[in-house]
Amino acid sequence: MGAAIQQAWELIRSGDPELLNILSTTARVSLTSSILALLLGLPLGILYGAGRFPGRSVLLVLNRTLMGLPPVVCGLLFYLLFSGVGPFGKLKLLFTVELMILAQVVLITPIVIGTMETWVAQTAPALRETAKGLGFGRGKRFLLLLNECVSPMISAYLLAFARAIAEVGAVAMVGGAIAWKTNVMTTAIMMYTNRGSFTLGIALGIILLGLSLLLNAALSLLQRRLNR
Amino acid sequence: MKSAAFSKTYRGHTVLDLPQLELPAGEITSLIGPNGSGKSTLAKVLAGIEPADGRVPVLTGCSVGYLPQKSFAFRMSTRRNVLLNGGDHARAEELLRALGLETLARQRAWKLSGGETAKMALCRILMGRYGLLILDEPTAALDMESTLAAEELIRRRCRETGCAVLLITHSIQQARRLSARMLLLHRGELVEQGETERLLRAPEKEETRRFLQFCGL
Repeated sequence: MGAAIQQAWELIRSGDPELLNILSTTARVSLTSSILALLLGLPLGILYGAGRFPGRSVLLVLNRTLMGLPPVVCGLLFYLLFSGVGPFGKLKLLFTVELMILAQVVLITPIVIGTMETWVAQTAPALRETAKGLGFGRGKRFLLLLNECVSPMISAYLLAFARAIAEVGAVAMVGGAIAWKTNVMTTAIMMYTNRGSFTLGIALGIILLGLSLLLNAALSLLQRRLNR
Repeated sequence: MKSAAFSKTYRGHTVLDLPQLELPAGEITSLIGPNGSGKSTLAKVLAGIEPADGRVPVLTGCSVGYLPQKSFAFRMSTRRNVLLNGGDHARAEELLRALGLETLARQRAWKLSGGETAKMALCRILMGRYGLLILDEPTAALDMESTLAAEELIRRRCRETGCAVLLITHSIQQARRLSARMLLLHRGELVEQGETERLLRAPEKEETRRFLQFCGL
């Protein structure tokens, strides 16, 4: 373990080009997919939580099912859709970062929706009653609800990012773990371990954990400041 | 101010069936009754939070302010919560001071205690100008000193703006202190209404007598 930590440090210190490429691909995939999932999931979560419309309970059950969607199943689905014989094969997106992002968006958007929906469903009735009682119109009520959503939105984003950065099944299937192109931290760990380079795998694992820890700490601090 | 006669049904069970209600402008009317008699539902229907059966318009041409039983603090400071309902800073400060919240004005409102949140919510609703102001147990979480201060604010607002106030309360003493008229609700029906003192001293209906007996009168 000591050797792995030392190697991780050496890799970072030396600015190893392959490591930097893996890091930048990981950052691109995880950040883009989690931000897109937040942009999609936030309004849907608010709608599911605060809205009362026919079919809402069906959509909620569907979303809860998708929250548990195994990444490999998602990856397989995308593989079949975008492979040469699939309906979207002509787009030539298989084994690209763009498709990895898309697969991750499908995987993590339900998590954002679910987190926001649970929170909004608990808060919206009291908020609506109070705001309507004050005579506020729809627009002002919506803005007040958005204002209430800041802290849970950070929680939802943290969950989404954690799932994105740690995910391996879908990105491995649709990205193919191609060195210098679609290799991210998780697929690289798998690749090095398969080659018998355990130390390098552990070193990458430590970097991955460190990055995740840094982002989580920063956002948790922000959340604490907002709640104080 | 007169409401239309209306009923309210939940899943086939009628919880309110009321005749036309008269709420005189510039006066406080107390609404009393046991738990589950439909007081809060009546308040919500009058405030337009919940529709009456058949979506009958219950009040027309009247702005209604409604303070729910459970106070809610928006995610902002106490002062900003109060100012949400009108930008008159001087009035907001006056209200906050009257209820002893001036030192908490900059504090995040969602960190206030239950009683403080209730006081903040009362300040907030009293910032608005309404034709009818419905207050659902506004002092239930307050100590006696704060209750008396809140009552004074309600009385003053009613006098100054000439609005009708419907006060839901479980305290007969409070109803006596504040209101000239009283309504008694029982199992969703208006059992008795009239001048507070007359109703308390010489109730006409058996349900009223029994209810007042439980209240120690």
